[in-house]
Amino acid sequence: MQLERIGVTLRPRTPQEAMDLGMVMLRAHARPVWSAWLVFTLPIFLLCQLLAWWLGMPWLGLALPWWLRPMFDRIPLFVLSYAVFEQAPSWRVTLKGQRTWPWKRTLAALTWLRVDTNRALRLPMELLEGVDSKQRRARWRVLSRPLAGVASGLTWTCMAFEWVISLSLGIFVLWLVPKEALPDSMRSLDQALSLPAFRNALVWIASGLTYLSMSIIEPLYVASGFALYLNRRTQLEGWDVDLAFRRLRKRLVDAGLAIALFVCVVCLPGFAYAADKRSDADRTPPQNIAEVFHQPVNDKDTSFASEAANVYRDARFGQSRNVRHWVRRTPSTPQADASWLGGMFANLGAGLLNVLLWGLLAVLVGALILFALRRLRIAKASPGESSETPRPLSSIIMREMPLPEDLAVAVHELWRGGSCREALALLYRGSVQRAAAALRIPPPIDATESDWLQYARGMEDSARRERLIAIVRTWQLAAYADRYPGDADVDALLTGWPAQQVAS
Amino acid sequence: MLDTVREIETPEGVSLRLRAAGAFGRAQAWLLDTLLRAVVFFVGLGIFSALGRGGVGLGLLLLFVLMWVYNVICEVWFHGQTIGKRALGLRVVNADGTPITLLPSVVRNLLRVVDALPGIYGVGLIMSIIDPSARRIGDIVAGTMVIHAEELPAGSRVPVAPALPLPLPLDQDEQAALIEFAERSSQLTPQRQEELANILYPLTGREGSAAIVQITAYANGLLGRP
Repeated sequence: MQLERIGVTLRPRTPQEAMDLGMVMLRAHARPVWSAWLVFTLPIFLLCQLLAWWLGMPWLGLALPWWLRPMFDRIPLFVLSYAVFEQAPSWRVTLKGQRTWPWKRTLAALTWLRVDTNRALRLPMELLEGVDSKQRRARWRVLSRPLAGVASGLTWTCMAFEWVISLSLGIFVLWLVPKEALPDSMRSLDQALSLPAFRNALVWIASGLTYLSMSIIEPLYVASGFALYLNRRTQLEGWDVDLAFRRLRKRLVDAGLAIALFVCVVCLPGFAYAADKRSDADRTPPQNIAEVFHQPVNDKDTSFASEAANVYRDARFGQSRNVRHWVRRTPSTPQADASWLGGMFANLGAGLLNVLLWGLLAVLVGALILFALRRLRIAKASPGESSETPRPLSSIIMREMPLPEDLAVAVHELWRGGSCREALALLYRGSVQRAAAALRIPPPIDATESDWLQYARGMEDSARRERLIAIVRTWQLAAYADRYPGDADVDALLTGWPAQQVAS
Repeated sequence: MLDTVREIETPEGVSLRLRAAGAFGRAQAWLLDTLLRAVVFFVGLGIFSALGRGGVGLGLLLLFVLMWVYNVICEVWFHGQTIGKRALGLRVVNADGTPITLLPSVVRNLLRVVDALPGIYGVGLIMSIIDPSARRIGDIVAGTMVIHAEELPAGSRVPVAPALPLPLPLDQDEQAALIEFAERSSQLTPQRQEELANILYPLTGREGSAAIVQITAYANGLLGRP
């Protein structure tokens, strides 16, 4: 068995997941499994029916195929066990392969182990491992310890599935066949059941349906049992770890064992000698058989020679392969003087490149020093510059200051005094408060200029509306754009509501 | 490589691995749910029938709720798990791995009628055998799937040992393999442990039991233990 060839993702799975993996395996190899299944089981099934008819015991047609199931199980297991590691075999190969697989255990399964509910798990162990009886018992204990319940659960579930499928088929047929097509004798079930011919027909139909549902579910049963077996062995022998370690080892060896060993030696000085002893990179592959066995080999031994020939016939050893690559038609003869000249040019080129690289390094270092110097100068200059920070543009606008009685006069005084920003701020603040009073709303503390524009648009008096909007706009221009109106404009804003109290 | 996993990569480059659940677990979960609901129904009917003819009506209402609403409520509000699914470690999710929402849940449970044909889930069984993610018709239409929700413990059972830093950087799956080995080495035979540890000779520079100790130390280092 070569783990590297396995076609299934190996990872720790719960038994439930492993059984689902069986279903996936079966789906992937459906054609080889079912073709071999039909070729093997259909003739046997028909023979059983023939025997039952000949003996006049229709129930035998139902019971015999059921009894022979452990024999049928060999087919899906054979196909899947090859398909997982290599190519899925064709039905011919599968049928031929039955001769090489042990029949003794199948006979046991057909007789005293026929009602064993762990058959799905026992099957791969017995047919694939082929150990003798004493070892087998110990092996079975190890394998089945955590799985016995799961395996018999699988058996019962598959049995239920078969019932579901055969009953479904029967019910569908009953639904879809029109009543008129049935013979008169079957209109009434009580009457029909009293006819022996009808009862026999029922048994024939049942055995057909059972064979159909068995053909669908039995490969599934075997595949799931095989997946359980694979999962248990993965768990017991760490197959997934094995694969991952082999991949890691290959990567390390390919990436240069020397480097890895060097690192090991640096990290673990005490084990340096161990590394020297077994460096696989230094070992040359053996050239002949004598080197492999470290002793002379008797070539004249015919049995050995035939054995060796057998081994080389295996597809994994005696492979020949075609390798294509380009070869010069006329082998080039090296010319002495050209190589001398070439060597000189190469030396010259190398020297130039060397100079260039050193120059590049010098430029880089110079640039770094310049950069550092500039940084230093900036760092030195920065405390002096910070004293010249511009004064903040905005001055304190006294929010907390109570509004003056006569807003127009106060604003006018401020405006005259040259503090235009404060004047407009006061005008805005006073105007919006009066507007709030006029609108009979509590003055909203978080209202922005655009909110006030909204409120202003809701005013009925158009003159007041226009003026309030003009005041807000003027304030916005002053506050955000630092643009101030002329004296006449301010006077216009200050006449009437809201700057002057108007009896309304 | 064959696997039951359906891998979804999010725009952020995170790959979600949905481990599709097949017919076996789902059938067992359904059986459990059905038995439970039958018990609840008959107990409820027993209680309601004390109320006379009206009580039978209430019992029928209970049957309706158990048949049509139970699944939807469990899937939408109890993390995609009915009681049976919870017992089997299964979960219903949307096909893109997100938790199932109301509409897909209603659709997939309404389409039970089709999957249950002819009354014993014959169609649903065949569909879940055929479909690669083991979905029945309701799942395919609603864009949902049933997954294995239980994770195997990873990294928690590594025996505690003084940690060692790795001598050279390793890929993520290689680190995972080291941890996996340290975690499961107690389940392997000593011979097998050494065999596996010897494979990594180029990494550890040791053989036999010393290599096992070394890998366990690396695993402890990878897990961030002192």
